[in-house]
Amino acid sequence: MSASPYDDRVPRDLPDLTARPAVPSARSEALRQLFYELVSGVSGGALALFMWGHMLFVASILTGERGFDWLAEGLEKVYVAQPTVFAIALLFLVQAVMASRKIPAQLHERRKMREIAAQLKQKPSLPANALRLKPHLESMLWLWQVRTGMVILVLGSFHMVLVGIDVLTPLFGERTGIEASSSMARVGAGLWLLYALLLVCVEFHASVGLYRLAVKWGVGSRLSRGTLLTLERVIFVSFLGLGLFTLVVLAGWIDPPLALLLESSP
Amino acid sequence: MAHESTDAARTLTFEIFRFNPEQPEVEPHLQSFELDETPYMTLFLALNRIREEQDPSLQFDFACRSAVCGSCGMLVNGRPRLACNTLTRDLPDVIRLHPLPAFQLIGDLSVDTGVWFREMHRRVESWVHERAPFDPEAPEERMDDELAQAIYEGERCIECGCCVAGCGVANVNPRFVGAAGMNRIARFMTDPRDARSDEDWFDVVSTEDGVFGCVGLMACHDVCPKGLPLLEVYAYLRRRMLGAGLSRGGSNELLQIEAA
Ligand code: HEM
Ligand code: SF4
Ligand code: SF4
Ligand code: FES
Repeated sequence: MSASPYDDRVPRDLPDLTARPAVPSARSEALRQLFYELVSGVSGGALALFMWGHMLFVASILTGERGFDWLAEGLEKVYVAQPTVFAIALLFLVQAVMASRKIPAQLHERRKMREIAAQLKQKPSLPANALRLKPHLESMLWLWQVRTGMVILVLGSFHMVLVGIDVLTPLFGERTGIEASSSMARVGAGLWLLYALLLVCVEFHASVGLYRLAVKWGVGSRLSRGTLLTLERVIFVSFLGLGLFTLVVLAGWIDPPLALLLESSP
Repeated sequence: MAHESTDAARTLTFEIFRFNPEQPEVEPHLQSFELDETPYMTLFLALNRIREEQDPSLQFDFACRSAVCGSCGMLVNGRPRLACNTLTRDLPDVIRLHPLPAFQLIGDLSVDTGVWFREMHRRVESWVHERAPFDPEAPEERMDDELAQAIYEGERCIECGCCVAGCGVANVNPRFVGAAGMNRIARFMTDPRDARSDEDWFDVVSTEDGVFGCVGLMACHDVCPKGLPLLEVYAYLRRRMLGAGLSRGGSNELLQIEAA
């Protein structure tokens, strides 16, 4: 029998784990948790990688409408674009369901925070420099990851429905498929506002998500956390910058800066 | 030493959370105390002076005053810290003290970390499960130096509860083993004298109350006053659990769950 150093404080008939028969329900529950964790991590990671690819596709507008249409048509002709839209929509749903399993707890926590905050309100008057509370960076990032996730759920679904209609029906534009002209028309007409918001949320959510994923599984244990965080910021800022620039071109506010490339090589 | 002159010149304001569960009619509130700062003053010294000179009813815990016993954890301007190794000169003029959240409040700044840790140890069964009956005559088994160091590193936890108080998940889910619990698990997992296999650990660790409850907020790692590598600990547990889940037919069961 193994002796517990805490025997004086706990009941003596503690179960001995080595002698305990395997509990099948506990095991399958543990397997389920592992499975959920993997699905949420893999779907998040895959979506983040897809978003990088996606950024490059959309950025083809920088070479002008011809470049954009050429790429879109090419991907549709070989039937890459259509299934991708549905695969991503599926991954998106999976990520939303799996990741939000952590959120209800968060709601409890907010209630708790509010309680604490309410207690603090009864404070005597405080000098201005009293509240030097430093929020914990990664904890705040997590809260914002949840918030941006919710925005992505709404705006991203809307976006995917639009693109789904694009690739399946000739409803928008002249033909079935994604076209620069119809995309530019609707972005310029006001959709840019939604897309700008979606862009900020996605870039933030994805870069923080990848950072967290690396830390959680120790992928980056060879890199220091500072390095990973810097990497996260560089990714966030570069993709956000490229994305906003692309959006400005897509809205038709400035001419495609790389159009020269295609004109010189017909 | 340039600090000392300025140290002595400051008058500190302490905003201290007051609530005594035995006197529920007095609402929880913050009470201010003023104190002149002395050189190398720690919060331990400051609180003792406040109790001696201003309010003998103030409750807080200390024993070792040298970051060993783990009894003096509290929120210092919102961050979990040990009061005995926090110098006032590292803090602004106004210092706000709250009891650690996530634990049962005894009164004012005093909380009961013992109940939480006892329950954690009970669930983690945090003692060596021997492979064979102990033979006091047999020579002790040899252990690799590096491994012994790693186990010693895990034993450095003083159970102050800062990691638990700083963790969003532990604050919401009282059953979550927290970083201190994960550290304990990793300590026994690496111990070759412990009979428990990854399979045995799997049911306890690969759960919402175990390592997968952790969402990677990293606060535990940042607030641990003993500088334990808690980030590495939970990444290690995740990988071990992934291995345990995938091995020995686990992957088949995993697929069945997917199908279900
Ligand atoms: C459909 C809407 C979405 C919602 C509601 C959502 C929500 C969340 C939440 C709450 C988390 C934190 C989960 C945790 O800490 O365990 C998370 C993690 C993550 N999300 Fe999302 N998300 C959504 C879409 C996306 C998209 C489009 C991407 C890719 C661009 C993405 C990439 C990630 C990554 C990489 C993680 C980290 C995974 C992990 O730590 O295990 N998510 N998501
Ligand atoms: S792990 Fe660190 S913060 Fe947590 S109880 Fe142990 S010493 Fe305290
Ligand atoms: S990493 Fe975050 S969620 Fe995990 S134990 Fe530490 S503080 Fe809690
Ligand atoms: S008094 Fe022992 S750790 Fe602070």
